[in-house]
Amino acid sequence: MRLKLKIWRQAGPGTAGRLVDYAADHVSPDMSFLEMLDVVNEGLVKQGHDAIAFDSDCREGICGMCGLVVNGIPHGPDRGTTVCQLHMRRFRDGDTIVIEPWRARAFPVVKDLVVDRSALDRIITAGGYVSVNCGGAPDGNAIPIAKEVSETAMDSAACIGCGACVAACKNASAHLFMSAKISHLSLLPQGQIERYRRVVAMIEQADAEGFGSCSNEGECEAVCPKEIPISNIARMTREYFRALWVGGR
Amino acid sequence: MSSRFGVFSSSVGTKILIGVTGVALFLYLVIHIAGNLIVFLGPAAFNRYAFVMEYGNPLLPVIEIGLLLIFLLHVYKAVTMFLANQQARPVAYVKKKYAGKPSRKSFASSTMIFSGLWLLFFIIIHVKAFRFSPEYPWPAGGRDLYRQEMENFVSPLTAGFYVLSMVVVGSHLWHGIASAFQSMGADHPKWTPRLLTTGKVIAVLMAGGFIVIALWAHFVGART
Repeated sequence: MRLKLKIWRQAGPGTAGRLVDYAADHVSPDMSFLEMLDVVNEGLVKQGHDAIAFDSDCREGICGMCGLVVNGIPHGPDRGTTVCQLHMRRFRDGDTIVIEPWRARAFPVVKDLVVDRSALDRIITAGGYVSVNCGGAPDGNAIPIAKEVSETAMDSAACIGCGACVAACKNASAHLFMSAKISHLSLLPQGQIERYRRVVAMIEQADAEGFGSCSNEGECEAVCPKEIPISNIARMTREYFRALWVGGR
Repeated sequence: MSSRFGVFSSSVGTKILIGVTGVALFLYLVIHIAGNLIVFLGPAAFNRYAFVMEYGNPLLPVIEIGLLLIFLLHVYKAVTMFLANQQARPVAYVKKKYAGKPSRKSFASSTMIFSGLWLLFFIIIHVKAFRFSPEYPWPAGGRDLYRQEMENFVSPLTAGFYVLSMVVVGSHLWHGIASAFQSMGADHPKWTPRLLTTGKVIAVLMAGGFIVIALWAHFVGART
């Protein structure tokens, strides 16, 4: 396969970036998207050019490290996958592919396609700890939890914090990310003690980081590699509402 | 969060307020269209209804002021949220595409701020035309609102502006009805999909109903 790539190049956080054209001439349909970029980078390095910077780690869709906007869709055209799980067979010979970084004020570009997502970490930090008893580890299954509840909590806990929800949202909102974390802990008995303090603190932190609000379009759900639904956002609102009545802190 | 009211300045609190005020305005619109449909029963029935609404209701000033405050709160929160959201992505994407199902994104959802501002402009003209305007007396009491309405729709420009504005109402409700419930935290595995469809059906019915009234007034009522 021969592809034309238009890739966002940006030297650093404060500098202006632009799309640069590259040709990828020896692409196998069996390659993953990131392997294709590796091959392009190999060529660039051989010619003495600066390699295109992009994030990746596990390359099997579970770490949340990779994230590129491919032809206008975060993580590319496939549902429920990260960009490292996207394969070149999804494209046709001669295609032009536009590759951009996540774009949000809260995600400043570090270099090229790499963005700083530590704002998400700070939201988690604001959520704080979960109180547990000291001493030996409790027996497995010692705390009874209804199956539907534990499954819903697990579905929310599947969030890998990649930030695609923010990238897809027209408001660069982190509501899906936050709501997944809040749902996960508010559903489980272990998360009850700090339940109301947590939701208020996380929302305050997200607002302070400069993420936008939510317009209920659900673009986030459509690009989420873990297919986390926006029903979590409704649950977060209910949690916030309860916190308002009981006093959030 | 300095106080319980400070909660409503957060991104989630803002959503709750826009949702609650949106539902209130929608409920008012349901009463509004129900009243308007009485126009088809003729001048006597329509003017009688207007008389009862205006003079038979001691709570009218309270309701009017309440409605105005709800409206202003809805507009204020939506505009300030839109401006804040614009700040959240200073560098735009070169290429951005619809992500596909299950996204609820639509033309209506992408243009809520514009349809909303259009309606703000429309409502100012509309309220001036019917609430703060010279009145014709009606012999049985109150005013001849029927004649006032028919005269308003004589001009094809006015009728056209109303029809267009009602399409905008439909667009705003197309996304707004279901979105308001999501904003208030109402979500249910069985009822939310039904609400999404029902909201769109109601949007079409409401816009269609108002458009039929405007067209009828222009082509039939104003000429008889």
